[in-house]
Amino acid sequence: MTPEWAHPGLFLILGAWLLPWLKGRTKRLAMVVLPASALVGCILMEPGTHGVVRFLGQELVFGRVDRLSLVFSYVFSFLTLLGMVYSLHVDDDAQHVAALTYAGGALGVTFAGDFLSLFVFWELMALSAALLVWLRREPGAVAAGFRYLLVHVFGGLCLLGGIVLYWSQTGSLTFGDMSPYAGSAAFTLILLAFLLNAAVPPLGAWLPDAYPEATATGAVFLTAFTTKSAVYALIRGFAGTEILVWWGAGMAVYGVVYAVLENDARRLLAYHIISQVGYMVCGVGIGTTLALNGAAAHAFAHILYKALLFMGAGAVLQVTGLRKLSDMGGLYKTMPRTLALYMVGAFAISAVPLFSGFVSKSMIVSSAAESHRGVIFLLLTLASSGTFLHTGLKLPYYMFFGKDPGVGDTGLPPQRAGMRVGDPGLRGHEPPANMLVAMSVAAAACILIGSVPAVLYGQLPYPVEYAPYTTRHVVATLGLLAFTAVGFFLMLRHLDPEPIVSLDTDWFYRRGLAAALAVVDRGLARLEGFVGQTYEIVMQGPLLGAASQLREIDARVIDATADGVGRLTQSLSRSLSTAVSGHAQHYGLIMAAGVLAAIALAVFGW
Amino acid sequence: MTFLERQLEDPVRFKRMKRWFYAGLAALALGEVAAPFLWYPEHGHFSFEDFPAWGSLYGLVSCVVIIVVSKLLGKLWLIRRETYYDS
Repeated sequence: MTPEWAHPGLFLILGAWLLPWLKGRTKRLAMVVLPASALVGCILMEPGTHGVVRFLGQELVFGRVDRLSLVFSYVFSFLTLLGMVYSLHVDDDAQHVAALTYAGGALGVTFAGDFLSLFVFWELMALSAALLVWLRREPGAVAAGFRYLLVHVFGGLCLLGGIVLYWSQTGSLTFGDMSPYAGSAAFTLILLAFLLNAAVPPLGAWLPDAYPEATATGAVFLTAFTTKSAVYALIRGFAGTEILVWWGAGMAVYGVVYAVLENDARRLLAYHIISQVGYMVCGVGIGTTLALNGAAAHAFAHILYKALLFMGAGAVLQVTGLRKLSDMGGLYKTMPRTLALYMVGAFAISAVPLFSGFVSKSMIVSSAAESHRGVIFLLLTLASSGTFLHTGLKLPYYMFFGKDPGVGDTGLPPQRAGMRVGDPGLRGHEPPANMLVAMSVAAAACILIGSVPAVLYGQLPYPVEYAPYTTRHVVATLGLLAFTAVGFFLMLRHLDPEPIVSLDTDWFYRRGLAAALAVVDRGLARLEGFVGQTYEIVMQGPLLGAASQLREIDARVIDATADGVGRLTQSLSRSLSTAVSGHAQHYGLIMAAGVLAAIALAVFGW
Repeated sequence: MTFLERQLEDPVRFKRMKRWFYAGLAALALGEVAAPFLWYPEHGHFSFEDFPAWGSLYGLVSCVVIIVVSKLLGKLWLIRRETYYDS
């Protein structure tokens, strides 16, 4: 690695190990300085190829720096900074080390120019993310962490298999546009691995399974890195892959459909990650410069507002210990700042004009329109409505405002909001200052990007000619959102969160596998019994018969033979003993007779 | 009492807020109908976008469709009791 180029990811991964040695204010300073210097490092970075290492006859590129990797590196390192500020109050070094390693892994993936280094950072991310889930140290979290790891090890194996095939086909490990290999096994395996990390259904159930189980602070990191580094990898390798258009649009709708049923606040938000990543995957599939710019822009905006939303839900979890919407209510009185900051994130994800989602999401939707894909356009717009319905209306309504089964008309229950005795809302208070600071910065970024889109557009991989603020677009968006709100209030009585879980594809490895194992188990037991029976009937009788026969033969033939040989030896030795007298003259006589016999043989024999 | 509490807990103010909400909705829908004549003569990418108040209509329809479809899916297929995975 060239000395003038320092890898910001490695910097975070190694620097993380400083934290356990530091204490108090120094530690908190280091928690801010580490990601801040990684961010500065990314901003100062010059485009080009850095950090080339020769390994096993291959060139590993740790620093492919171009506009695409740069824009992702900015937001990854910025989010790391926000996340560390958000977790400043947490006294758990393991979490901090895991979070920084995870962020470093994401930066490593972003700058990786070859598949081998990509794979190493990819696996590092899987492991450190599982740690962030485990470190909540509750049985549910431990189990969810193992499931997370199980799925990602499978994805990692797909990736490794694809890489090995790709290497054997091309003799190179360079990670670039994969479209020339479309249809090959290598192409498919690598695409599958990327789609698994992007949480594309049916491979995406790990996300709503694991993220709500993570620590309040760890979940903020989780929302950012795994899915968005996968989006980065998809843009890099699979732009214009047609199947992604439909898969992505389906994913956007799938996320909002599941969110209707969801009761766990952070799981609802997790389904909206899937929905939002669906827009990006769709954009990658469309593959025009507008769509790819849109995918990158939406990833950038999404990381910030989604982190903000998870910070809000995490603050409620931290303060009240509650995670289910059916238990919450009335928190607006005691957590008004959290509510206000949360709502900025909610407006951003819902693409309200002047908030970040409006300028990023619309690039993808417009690219669908420009490539004349009417159905995709309608699906993506429908998902927009669903996004506002949940993150902008349902979640804040049930979390921060009152709930009363008796109130079914449009609007909030006026006198009853948060007034019931024992209502958890009465127990809440604002979270620690560092959490509010992190949320405020994220909220400011959402508003800045939404109001001055050039800030973001200037960093995108391709030049941007797109103008989000046309009258038509603004008016149509406002209409869409406002009448989504009408629909919400009309159907409010059907939306009350219920204490349920909804089945997703994680069923297959949570229950399906157990059922399959039971079937296999029972089958095996039956097979074992059958084999045992057969053995007794078929084998035991003949075997015993054969054994007694053998014993007979042994007694009669072998023993008799052995006795005979013994007796023969005995008589032979007896007759020999007469010859072996022990007298020297007898031996001399025998020797003389032998010599005579030999001479006679020599003379007369030939 | 914060501003928000005053708005939500005083029935008079709450009613007033609701009225403003309805007025805003009407203004938006009307604005969307009128906008093509006032501000932009060009057509949308798709013909359905030129339907009067397209955004508002589609928003309402989307919202209702999403809720109905997923509730149905949930009732018929997806919903389990909360301890389903614990046993």
